[in-house]
Amino acid sequence: MEFPNDYKYSKEHTWLKLLNNQEALVGITEFAQSELGEIVYVDLPSVSKQFKKDEVFGSIEALKTASDLFMPVSGEVIEINTALKENATLVNTESYTGGWLIKIKLLDIVETESVMDAIAYQALVK
Amino acid sequence: MKIALFSDIHANLPALEACLKHIDEQKPDAIYCLGDLVGYNIWPNEVINEIRRRGIATIAGNYDQGIGLMSDDCGCAYKEEHEKDMGKISIGYTNSIVKPDERKYLRTLPAHIKVEFQLNEDKLNLLLVHGSPRKINEYLFEDRDEKSMIRIMEAADADIMCFGHTHKPYHRIFPTDQIEDTHFRHAINIGSVGKPKDGNPQGGYVLLTINADSSITNKNAVQVDFMRFNYDVEKAAKAIEDSPLPNEYADMLRNGF
Repeated sequence: MEFPNDYKYSKEHTWLKLLNNQEALVGITEFAQSELGEIVYVDLPSVSKQFKKDEVFGSIEALKTASDLFMPVSGEVIEINTALKENATLVNTESYTGGWLIKIKLLDIVETESVMDAIAYQALVK
Repeated sequence: MKIALFSDIHANLPALEACLKHIDEQKPDAIYCLGDLVGYNIWPNEVINEIRRRGIATIAGNYDQGIGLMSDDCGCAYKEEHEKDMGKISIGYTNSIVKPDERKYLRTLPAHIKVEFQLNEDKLNLLLVHGSPRKINEYLFEDRDEKSMIRIMEAADADIMCFGHTHKPYHRIFPTDQIEDTHFRHAINIGSVGKPKDGNPQGGYVLLTINADSSITNKNAVQVDFMRFNYDVEKAAKAIEDSPLPNEYADMLRNGF
């Protein structure tokens, strides 16, 4: 199971990949997708919506279960991954790359420092 | 009219025979089968042939699809390794005993049946699926979020959606506000004939009654009766134990899980 070093992780199993000091991508971890099983549908918010850290921003539906999605940091949605509409299983097969969920504008850069690094997250799920 | 709906027989012939006898006594106007005729017991061919002999309109379940394609995957989404190992034995055994003509029948079953009523001012769409309209093997358990259920039914234009696959029966009504009136959608899991998992080893099916005043704005106009019937559980369980199938499947029948 992969835990890329250049990603940050929340205890609710979402990852944060900083693109610069203003924008980041958000997705779910490989661990999370393996627990959920085959993803059938992803319910994502509309662009320009703002969410606080730990707030529910959408939900993900797998063959046997559905689960809420939690923001790793506060942010404004500036793009959603439209490829998931046709192919939600990208979240399973490319959880850290093609299966990203939303692109956000960071509302508080300082918050990113309190999100777990790969080593801490790996220890959490083991 | 009175519609009998049954599914998830899973090669359990004693359960199917008792179910059909029970259904006959209710004198329904139509009978539909929502799939998963095979797997987990020794009578897949006999179950297929009884349903064909009676000309019952049937849709494919995930297990039927797997066997129809001679696949080693039933789409059962097992989570535990132990479940996966048992599942492999079941699909391998089923593939080995299903005959060519019966396999061809499974291979060509339709995915959905849509029945449109036009009784009053508006349409009333009854949609029959195995798991969900979007996935033959999606498990719509009773605790599925309301928003998700409404989205699934809206996308499929289903006012009454009947399905099986989880082997746990329930009826939920979802009111959705429209411009003029509240629109009620019904999600009905019809349970399982031959492998119930709700703690009751009796087989189960549903009688759906459509009345003259049935409409999308009348919450109680659709009558749903969850029927249970006795069958020779021990005969079905013993058949499993006397076959190459894992004995645990026999205990599941005895205990209804």
